[in-house]
Amino acid sequence: MQVYLPIAEMAVSPWLMATLGLVVGCLSGIFGVGGGFLMTPLLMLMGIPAPVAVAAGANLAAASSMSSVLGQFERRGVDLRMGLVISIGGIIGVGIGSILFSWLKSQGAAEATVRIAYTILLGSLGTSLVWESLRAIAKTRAGGPVPSLRRSSTDFAHRLPFKIRFPRSKLVISIIPPLAIGIGVGILSAIMGVGGGFILIPALVYIIHMPPNLVVGTSTLQVLITASATTFLQSAVNGSLDLVLSGLLIVGGVMGAQFGVIIGRKLKGEQLRALLGALVLLVALRLAADLVFVPSTLFELSSPGGGL
Amino acid sequence: MTARISLWLVVMVGLILGPAAQAQSTQVSAALIDDAVLVTSSFTGAKVTVFGSVRAGSVGRTDIVVAVRGPDRPAWIAKRKRTAGLWIGKDQINFVAAPTFFGVASARPLEQIAPSDTLSLYGLRPKGQLDIAKTSASSPLAETLIDAFVAQRQREKLYVDDSNGVKLLKGGLFRADLQMPDRTPPGLYTAKVMVFRNGRPAQSTLTTLVVTKVGAERALFEFARDHAVLHGLAGVLLALLAGLSAAGIVRRFVPG
Repeated sequence: MQVYLPIAEMAVSPWLMATLGLVVGCLSGIFGVGGGFLMTPLLMLMGIPAPVAVAAGANLAAASSMSSVLGQFERRGVDLRMGLVISIGGIIGVGIGSILFSWLKSQGAAEATVRIAYTILLGSLGTSLVWESLRAIAKTRAGGPVPSLRRSSTDFAHRLPFKIRFPRSKLVISIIPPLAIGIGVGILSAIMGVGGGFILIPALVYIIHMPPNLVVGTSTLQVLITASATTFLQSAVNGSLDLVLSGLLIVGGVMGAQFGVIIGRKLKGEQLRALLGALVLLVALRLAADLVFVPSTLFELSSPGGGL
Repeated sequence: MTARISLWLVVMVGLILGPAAQAQSTQVSAALIDDAVLVTSSFTGAKVTVFGSVRAGSVGRTDIVVAVRGPDRPAWIAKRKRTAGLWIGKDQINFVAAPTFFGVASARPLEQIAPSDTLSLYGLRPKGQLDIAKTSASSPLAETLIDAFVAQRQREKLYVDDSNGVKLLKGGLFRADLQMPDRTPPGLYTAKVMVFRNGRPAQSTLTTLVVTKVGAERALFEFARDHAVLHGLAGVLLALLAGLSAAGIVRRFVPG
């Protein structure tokens, strides 16, 4: 059975799309990432035009994060204030990123920049996540105390001005680091077409020093807001949102996200980070392979439906 | 499932111009029943069928070639190249217009029907249909890239060359079938029926068919186009509601 997509102007298997949504949704529930960095490239591999793939990935990210953020709120795993501050930065960042992207495009350097940036960013992120969490796991096994991720109050996040209180995280820090992180994630989100959860989680852990039990929930909230904004903008500005495709992905995605939250609860913080790190590393290696080895397809061309 | 269309167009053609007329007049009538392909939610492509009859002299060989061409769209192709050890560079050429679908049906390979230059002149080769941008034409790789473009679209069944697509029936009747894949976009398509006598074009007739979205597909497409803001809000709302209801359903069955 096949279903025709009105905006992408092609037919796809609805079962395949729903299954894809389920798998990516499950990952997003476990890790609190939107899954855009997996779904968008996967859709493009299946021949769906890039703008449609970006919009559908964002729409799925919005749905699965909505589905899991409720569970996170219930178990009091969200720092609402922190999430909103980062999201404000995120929306500013999306604006900056869009301008930056069109400038790179006019210089003819957009794709190379994005590819190299993606590889370096994901590579270093994945390595540090895996390294840090494996060390923590090893220490716990050895019977020692779990190393605290919280640094002393001499940390720069505590020294900058405009301090505000984040009661849920038990932090009193300057508003600048979370805003800056939000802006950074927003820029990456606009350039790479991803929600940014996979960058936000390590940032919350290593820069903000948020309590680990609040990290996933807060990041999920931010993904929900950013991805919703991206979905809306893709439709209103580019007309690239395909509701049939989104619907298929979302049906699987929201279910997967629920199961993901349940699985995630059974895993410890450092195990979660090790798994996320491994996943991020895999994507980075895949990208690095594309840069280094002779690509399987030397030619790429526009599709009839769009993707010009 | 194939949305099957039959289009009847009856075109009677009189005398041909030129020297061929002196030998013996060739007449072709081709018929299509419907002039519309309807794109519904179960659309996975369509078969275009042309019926017709040809009257020609008994001396020599008569060939029927049917070409269907989809709407033109801008296009590009790029070849990856290695820069400083990394595959980050590209050589790209742009087409101002390239047919989204280009299918040619005949009863035997085109090369056996007419010389290559004749085929190109009469627009039966996809390569001749590509309108390359001025800035790209001077590229040293233009030739390679154009060939690769046609080859890739042939792999995707967007450009078709079917040498079994025309069936010659008794009494000068013929039938041509061309399969269009699901990715052929809506728009105005042109169908051309050409008669070759001994390798020379003797007669041709043109007709059009429309590929159009209907029902839910059309409603969604027009909603997205005419009310982009509302369409975007609908997408966000869909995500939020789906998330909410999934949370509710799963919690009922999987406690904790």
